[in-house]
Amino acid sequence: MIQAYTILLDSLRMLRASKLFWISMWISLLVAIVYASVGFTPTGMSVGFGLWDFDVPVIREGSAESEVFYLLLFTDVIVRFWLGWFSLVLAIISTCSIFPHFLQAGSIELALSKPLSRLRLFLMKYLGGLLFVAVQTGLFCLVAFVAIGFRVSEWNVSIFWAVPVITFAFSLIYCVGVLIGVATRSTVFALLGALLFWAVTLFAQWTEDFVYKMAYVLPEVGLSVDMQTGELQETPEDASSGIKKTYQRIQSVTKVLPKTRECTISLKRLIRFQERDSMLAGVDLGSVFAGGEADPVVKEAMQKYELRHSWFTIIGTSLIFEILVLALAARIMIRRDY
Amino acid sequence: MSDFAVDIETLRKRYSNGVEALAGVSLQVPYGSIFGLIGPNGAGKSTLVKSLLSILRPTECRGTMLGEQIGNKSVLAKVGYLPEHASFPDYLTGRQVIEYAAGLANVSRAACRSRCDMLLEKVGMTEAAGRNIRTYSKGMKQRIGLAQALINDPVVVFLDEPTDGVDPEGRIDFKNMISSMRGDGRTVFVNSHLLAEVEQVADRVAILTKGRIIKQGLVEDLTRRDARYEVKFHGQMPVSLLEWCHQQQMKIEGDRITCRADGPLQIQPLIDRLRAALVVIREIKEEKFSLEELFLQAVTQSREESAAAKGGTR
Repeated sequence: MIQAYTILLDSLRMLRASKLFWISMWISLLVAIVYASVGFTPTGMSVGFGLWDFDVPVIREGSAESEVFYLLLFTDVIVRFWLGWFSLVLAIISTCSIFPHFLQAGSIELALSKPLSRLRLFLMKYLGGLLFVAVQTGLFCLVAFVAIGFRVSEWNVSIFWAVPVITFAFSLIYCVGVLIGVATRSTVFALLGALLFWAVTLFAQWTEDFVYKMAYVLPEVGLSVDMQTGELQETPEDASSGIKKTYQRIQSVTKVLPKTRECTISLKRLIRFQERDSMLAGVDLGSVFAGGEADPVVKEAMQKYELRHSWFTIIGTSLIFEILVLALAARIMIRRDY
Repeated sequence: MSDFAVDIETLRKRYSNGVEALAGVSLQVPYGSIFGLIGPNGAGKSTLVKSLLSILRPTECRGTMLGEQIGNKSVLAKVGYLPEHASFPDYLTGRQVIEYAAGLANVSRAACRSRCDMLLEKVGMTEAAGRNIRTYSKGMKQRIGLAQALINDPVVVFLDEPTDGVDPEGRIDFKNMISSMRGDGRTVFVNSHLLAEVEQVADRVAILTKGRIIKQGLVEDLTRRDARYEVKFHGQMPVSLLEWCHQQQMKIEGDRITCRADGPLQIQPLIDRLRAALVVIREIKEEKFSLEELFLQAVTQSREESAAAKGGTR
């Protein structure tokens, strides 16, 4: 217990000493404060605690849409882009040096000469790296929790699901950085490898997403894409079996890859606002601005699209991937001479 | 219980690239002694220590440390270690480095607090303990390194090139601190290529070269072996005495006679003859081999033997 506490405390101290950690933390807080500053007036909305007013008839004080809009800002924009994207890039840049530095000659000997198994040392050090994201997301969620509580009068603790989910999404990329860092003891290789791998998985997920829409969503709402012009056209027919086969092939590839994007998107399923479930599902920010509810057919198709992956597909397969990568990294670290 | 804190029956390490860093080393370190392992760079000194501390995996190892099989992790709770070129996390203060080492060694927080202050004082780092380690000189880092090696109140302490990069004043301090560890009842294992320093503090030494121990024993015994006496005289030596000296395989250079003798009794006949011949004796000096001479002799001998062995196989 003392050893675990020591390693985690050391990780916190290391983070505190990292400039990027503070930069990321301040940007995170700034984003959270900007989010908290969004308010609603009788004629629309305001930003900067009333500093700037915008007339938006649909989103005005007291309307259901304003509440939905406020919550969607959190789940669709902030979680997805800030927490699930920009802050993760900063976190990867900050944490990829942990293992290469730790494994440096003169440093690793100190830890290995203690009555502590290498596997435990590896796992504790790995968990220490995850603290970077967990701490930042936790603080961010705290501000968002208070903001949502005051703005929408709903003290919803499910917001804090973002902490484990975003940390998990980060861990899926971080573990690759750890593997490369342990194998090469180079921060540059670890960072480039992790970012490259992330890019590949994102590309695979975007492709899967796009092809799914082509194969299932568009036909369901009676549309298809003209492959000659690239324009949408109305068609009552189901999508060709060709594109469905293509989707299945793509899906078989993406299945084995970690799903960082899917994880952050899946937060929408976990962060639940009871009274507004029907409005949140299948609605995006565009339709909120347009006013009223989306077309029921579109809404149903979008619901199917959002729920197309089971929890096992999103979390389970990603977890298996992470365990395998970590097992390999741990094996390299354990068996190596220093 | 064994009399030895470290008792290596055999230790062999061959790297995957075929390099044999340790070729069947066998050595014993008694409890409460200061043991110096000396050898040229690349001899395998650090490899030996790292093997004992499970930092690297020996190819073959039979032996015990503190009564447990070498490789048993639990025994490391009673072991302290200062690595060569120790690199501590630069975001920590000196005190935090010691606390970090304490935590990894499973030392309770209360015990750590009480020992930390005492050790900081001992290594002369109390005032600088709150400063970030990146502001420390090499000597200060080594002092903190020594303190962290002692935080778990170890029975055995391994110091790998402890005075490397330390200024002369610091070296004297280190020598005193190492000596005081023996006073505290600890066994100290010092790896160094600074022979004069090892000679000053160590009770026993082993000379390691090319992965083999070529000489080991008490420093006193090793340096006494091949001890010489030097007699300086004044005046003319009679021819008969000169001949006698040559017969006794003594060396005469100018006004100096050098003879090999294990003790003072063996040079009494020479003194008697000089006195009888009315030769004035100016000075009689016992000359021991320094560790450095012993080391050079042993290493040269080892090289010659291996060269001869190679020649013989051709």
